[in-house]
Amino acid sequence: MVVPPSKHAVLSLYASMLRTSRSFSSYNFREYFLRRTKSTFREIQQNEQDPAKVSALYNDAVKEHAVLKRSAIVNQLYGGWKLVVEDQKPERTRGVN
Amino acid sequence: MLSRLSGNSVRRAALRASSKSAKGARRAFVQPSGADRASVVDVPANYQDDNLFTPRPDMLGFKLDVPRREGSVLEKARPIYLDMQATTPVDPRVLDAMLPYLTDQYGNPHSRTHAYGWEAEKAVEDARKHIADLIGADPKDIVFTSGATETNNMAIKGVARFHKDKKRHIITLQTEHKCVLDSCRKLQEEGFDVTYLPVQPNGIVSLEELERTIRPDTSLVSIMTVNNETGVIQPMKEIGAIVRKHRGVYLHTDAAQAAGKIPLDVNEMNVDLMSLSGHKLYGPKGVGAAYVRRRPRVRLEPIMSGGGQERGLRSGTLPSFLAVGMGEAARIAAKEMDRDRKRIADLSDRLIQGITSQIDHVIRNGDPNGYPGCVNLSFAYVEGESLLMALKEIALSSGSACTSASLEPSYVLRALGAAEDMAHSSLRFGLGRFTTEAEVDFVVKRLVATVQKLRDMSPLWEMVQEGIDINTINWSQH
Repeated sequence: MVVPPSKHAVLSLYASMLRTSRSFSSYNFREYFLRRTKSTFREIQQNEQDPAKVSALYNDAVKEHAVLKRSAIVNQLYGGWKLVVEDQKPERTRGVN
Repeated sequence: MLSRLSGNSVRRAALRASSKSAKGARRAFVQPSGADRASVVDVPANYQDDNLFTPRPDMLGFKLDVPRREGSVLEKARPIYLDMQATTPVDPRVLDAMLPYLTDQYGNPHSRTHAYGWEAEKAVEDARKHIADLIGADPKDIVFTSGATETNNMAIKGVARFHKDKKRHIITLQTEHKCVLDSCRKLQEEGFDVTYLPVQPNGIVSLEELERTIRPDTSLVSIMTVNNETGVIQPMKEIGAIVRKHRGVYLHTDAAQAAGKIPLDVNEMNVDLMSLSGHKLYGPKGVGAAYVRRRPRVRLEPIMSGGGQERGLRSGTLPSFLAVGMGEAARIAAKEMDRDRKRIADLSDRLIQGITSQIDHVIRNGDPNGYPGCVNLSFAYVEGESLLMALKEIALSSGSACTSASLEPSYVLRALGAAEDMAHSSLRFGLGRFTTEAEVDFVVKRLVATVQKLRDMSPLWEMVQEGIDINTINWSQH
C-alpha cells in the first residue's frame, strides 16, 4: 500500500517550486516553468483519489525541483537581458536631477 | 600582471647602458623599451558615444540612425525569438545535466581502464538509450555525430559509395535541405545518377511519381520528414511501404525538424537511416545522431576514418557532455511531447487567426496540415527584406538560415510553385516550447502595423485597390 504524500508536503513543494520558477532571469524560461509547475500540480489535484499516481507525480516533482534550483542559479549568472515584450521598468538612479 | 622586474633593476640597467654610451659617445639606435615600461591607459571617457561607431552586442548588426538618449530603457531590450527552425534555446534542465561532464566528470568515454572513463561511458550509453526511445529504435543502432549535416553526408555518400558497383541511382526531392542536395551534387560529379523529384503545390511528394522513378539500380531514397522552411510533413509510412516493396533500396530521412515534435517510429515508417540534430531538440549545438538499421543490416562507407569508435561508422572521441545533453533533451522531449504539441498548435492558430483577420492577401506556403510550429506566410505587395528590417524587435527569418546570405528567393518556395515576388516576401515564424501568448500577440500587432504601413507606401497596392489587375500591365520602358 503506497502512502501518498501529505497535503502539507504537496502544498509546500508547490510553493517552493513556484518561488524557484519566478527566480529565473530569462523571460521565456520563467514563464515556461511557472506554467509547467501549475499544470503539474493541477494534475496532482485531479488525481487526488489515486495514491500511487499521486506518489509518482510527487516524487518526479521533487527531483525536478532540485534540477530547477540549480538551473535557476545558472540562469541568474548568465541570463537576464530584458525582452521587448516584458515590462520595461526604467532604472531609477538616486541623486540625479 | 606586467613583468615582475622591480623598479631598481630597471634603473640599474639604464644607468649601466647610459654610462657606457657616455664613455664611448657613439650614436646608437634607440633600444625598444621593455614591457614593464608600458602601462594600460584607460579608454577616453566619451568612447561609447555615437561618433565612435563600433557595433555593440545589442545592436544585432542593424545600424542605428537615431542616437540613443543616456539612460534610455531600450538600450538593452533584446528582440523576442521566433525562429525555432533555425535553432532552439538550450533547455535549462539539459544544461544542468551537461554541467557535471564539463566540470568534474571529464573522462574520455573510450577509456576502459579507470573510473573517469567508465562513468563517462555510462552517461553516453544512457543518452543513447534516451535517443533510441524517442524514435522507437534499439540503442545499438544510434551513432553520435557532429550534427545532422554530417549524418546526411554520411548516409547519402556512404550508402551510395558502398553500393557503387551495382547501383548508381539516387532519388531525392527538390525541397530537401542544402546539405542533402549538395551531397547529391557531389555524387553526380563522381558519376552517379540523381533524380530530384518535384513536389505538389502543397509540398507533399506524389507517391505515384516516386513509385515510377524507382529503378532496379536505385540504392537510396532520401526524403525529409518535416521540411524546415514550410513545415510540410511527408507521408513517411506510405513512402516506407513503397520502398519496402523494392529490395535493395534504402530509405533515408532527415528527421532533424521532426524528432521530439511529432511521434516517430522507425519500424512503422520502415526507415533505414535517420538524421537527428541536437540543437533542434532544445539541446546543445554541435551534436547529432544517426540511426543506422542493423536488421536488415545497412552497409555504408564511413567518412571519418580512425579508431573504429561507434561501430566503425564514425571514429573520434565522443563529446560526452554534448551526447549527454542531446540524450537529456530527447528524454524531456519524449515526456513533454503531448503537452508541447497541444500548446504549439494553439499558439499557431492564434498567430494565423490574428494575422489573417486583420490583413488580407496573405498566403500560407505549404500544407495547412503540416507541423503547426512552422508557419510560412507570404504577404502580397510587400517586400520581404524591408518587412524583416522593420520588424527589428522580432527575430524572424525569411527562408532558411543556410541560404539567408544570398539574395535569391528560397528554392523550397520556388519548388512549391510560388511566384517570384511572393517567394521574396515570405516570412517563417517558428514557435516552440518556450514561446508565450504575449510574444505571439506582440508579433501580430507589429506585423499588421508594418504590413499596412508598407502597403500604404506601395503604388502596386494602390493599383490593386483600384481594381487594376497587375498581370495585365505592360511594364516596358519607353
